[in-house]
Amino acid sequence: MNIAIFSFAHMHAYSYARSLKDLPGVTLKVVADDDVERGRQAAETFGARYVRDYQDALKEPLDAVIVTSENSRHAEMTVAALQAGLHVLCEKPIATRIEDGHRMVQAAHDAKKLLQMAFPMRYNIPAARLKQQLDQGRLGRILLMNGTNHGKNPGGWFIDPVLAGGGAVMDHTVHIVDLMRWYTGSEVREVYAEIDTRFHPIGIDDTGLLTLEFENGVIAALDPSWSRPQRSFPTWGDVTLEVVGTEGVTHLDAFAQHLVLYKEIAGQAQHLGWGDDPDLRMLESFIACIRAGTPPLASGHDGLQATQVALACYESARLARPVKISQ
Amino acid sequence: MGFVHAQAWQAIPEAQLVGLVDTDPNLLKTLGESIGVSGFPNLDTALREVDVDIIDICLPTHLHREAAEAALAAGKHVICEKPLALSLKDARAIIDAAAAAKKQILVGHVLRFFRVYQKARQLVLDHTLGQIGTIKTFRGGSYPKGWHDWYGDPAKSGTLATDLLIHDFDFLMWCFGPVERVYAKSLAGHITGAADHVLASLRFKSGPIAHVEGTWAYPKGFSYAFEIAGADGLIHFDSADKGPIHTLLRSGSERNASVEVPESPVEISPYQAELAHFLEVITHDALPVVTAEDGYNALAVSLAVRDSIQSGEPVLLPGRTGGES
Ligand SMILES: NC(=O)c1ccc[n+]([C@@H]2O[C@H](COP(=O)([O-])OP(=O)(O)OC[C@H]3O[C@@H](n4cnc5c(N)ncnc54)[C@H](O)[C@@H]3O)[C@@H](O)[C@H]2O)c1
Repeated sequence: MNIAIFSFAHMHAYSYARSLKDLPGVTLKVVADDDVERGRQAAETFGARYVRDYQDALKEPLDAVIVTSENSRHAEMTVAALQAGLHVLCEKPIATRIEDGHRMVQAAHDAKKLLQMAFPMRYNIPAARLKQQLDQGRLGRILLMNGTNHGKNPGGWFIDPVLAGGGAVMDHTVHIVDLMRWYTGSEVREVYAEIDTRFHPIGIDDTGLLTLEFENGVIAALDPSWSRPQRSFPTWGDVTLEVVGTEGVTHLDAFAQHLVLYKEIAGQAQHLGWGDDPDLRMLESFIACIRAGTPPLASGHDGLQATQVALACYESARLARPVKISQ
Repeated sequence: MGFVHAQAWQAIPEAQLVGLVDTDPNLLKTLGESIGVSGFPNLDTALREVDVDIIDICLPTHLHREAAEAALAAGKHVICEKPLALSLKDARAIIDAAAAAKKQILVGHVLRFFRVYQKARQLVLDHTLGQIGTIKTFRGGSYPKGWHDWYGDPAKSGTLATDLLIHDFDFLMWCFGPVERVYAKSLAGHITGAADHVLASLRFKSGPIAHVEGTWAYPKGFSYAFEIAGADGLIHFDSADKGPIHTLLRSGSERNASVEVPESPVEISPYQAELAHFLEVITHDALPVVTAEDGYNALAVSLAVRDSIQSGEPVLLPGRTGGES
């Protein structure tokens, strides 16, 4: 199975490339990147061929493409790859505009190819175990959820409104909304969001506190802010979720499986994870779905639904009132 | 432990669990039926009735040697729960029997298959922490309920030093090599019943010093923790810290009744990884991650700790795989 990675703009590309190396019968053939320096280096590190223009890569004998470019470029690359008859794993958020997301989903449908969204939290073992328990009715009926996906300011194109399409709310809302949708089997019906820039001197939002309501009545809150202190916080951020049901309460702390390391030269404590690697499991599943011709665990549709929530939050914050999402 | 191993075997596609041996017919019936495996009242019958490659011994420790020797004499590979045996003489006899039968043994020092211990060891070996000064470990909780209270009989369990602390002794020797001397104190006899709580001090030949604490005297629960401090860094871990999944369930009709369930799931449990490793070992005739000699050496340290508790004196360890005691 031959894979190309379209752009190393998103740092997750490195983790995906490493994961591919661990999968039998899978080869990273091509790295396409318009940043010559970055692309060449990545291609060399992972033993792939470098091309500058992704269009040139489409002529190669490939089976699938991983799109890890800047958010606003997902649509163009994904649609081109699907039209060339390739399966696609696309980094979240699916796109920066809803129309783009629709085009991507349609292109996958027309080409009869896989469009999987990179929602690795569905492959995080504790989060997946909780899904199993909820499906077995362990907490009874879900009533309320409160989640966080904190982070630090990633800088670079992530804080460029055109390339990223939004700041912290765009970057971090979708992971938790996807988990919430997965757990409840319901869609977000209404959002209320307070959004601002209060942590960093940047021209994009880094602060968001979101209030959601699902079609099945579940109420939820979510904090996607880049609010963790850049240097002194011991890890990149977190994924946590409180789930309140009729029969009990569960707290999920998806990255709690870590050691704490204090190292003098690092100047800060560090968390060193020892749990299963969700990226590896996600890539494994992507390849398995291609081989078996089965649908992905998180599809383009899931990506679209989650991004729609993030975009509605921006709208709500702009209007300072709740915004309904029409399905 | 037999139940934990049975579940782990059943999760391994390359393995087939074909028989359970236990003297308790009720247990054989309920467990055997729930997992669909035949039960046998003793090893001899099982060996006659089913064709097996591996005998996995999860018996109370005083029965390890007899079962291991019988299995090896029948030409089977053996997995033996820790401690390998209760005396160095018995441990050596098992190792010799394996050599004579040309079969492999794996001692169940399962910490070597816990990710968090593997990660800690890696940080020691790759010098992230620099020169190691001290290691502190904790393991324990409430008093274990065993078959006819065998844990409470030193002639059967060898006491907490051999039964529980041997996990940490093996882990520490895996990281730091042989132990030079030990000194230890215990609450045995000073608290109710057979409960025990031990503090052991270990000096490694390679330099580091360890304090190893183990208890069967807590009111409830079970947890483990460690801290490794080096010149360049420090790591710590405590399984009692809030894990990735923490659930409070309403229970019964009482208004405030609840049960608390903490969980830290991994894709492949350490027990499954341990057993799957042994399959690899016997398939490729490879050296196991835990050798029988490792099991012997961990027992030697445990016995030295017990001796120190009794004598009140430091005890020097003979060289690795040294003299019999
Ligand atoms: N690796 C670990 O983490 C760990 C944890 C607990 C126990 N262990 C070890 O596992 C072993 C078993 O401990 P346990 O807690 O499961 O003990 P247990 O008392 O719970 O179970 C022992 C079983 O052996 C059966 N039995 C007793 N005599 C027998 C005989 N002659 N023939 C067949 N069956 C017989 C009993 O009926 C009982 O079902 C011990 O060596 C212990 O040290 C290891």
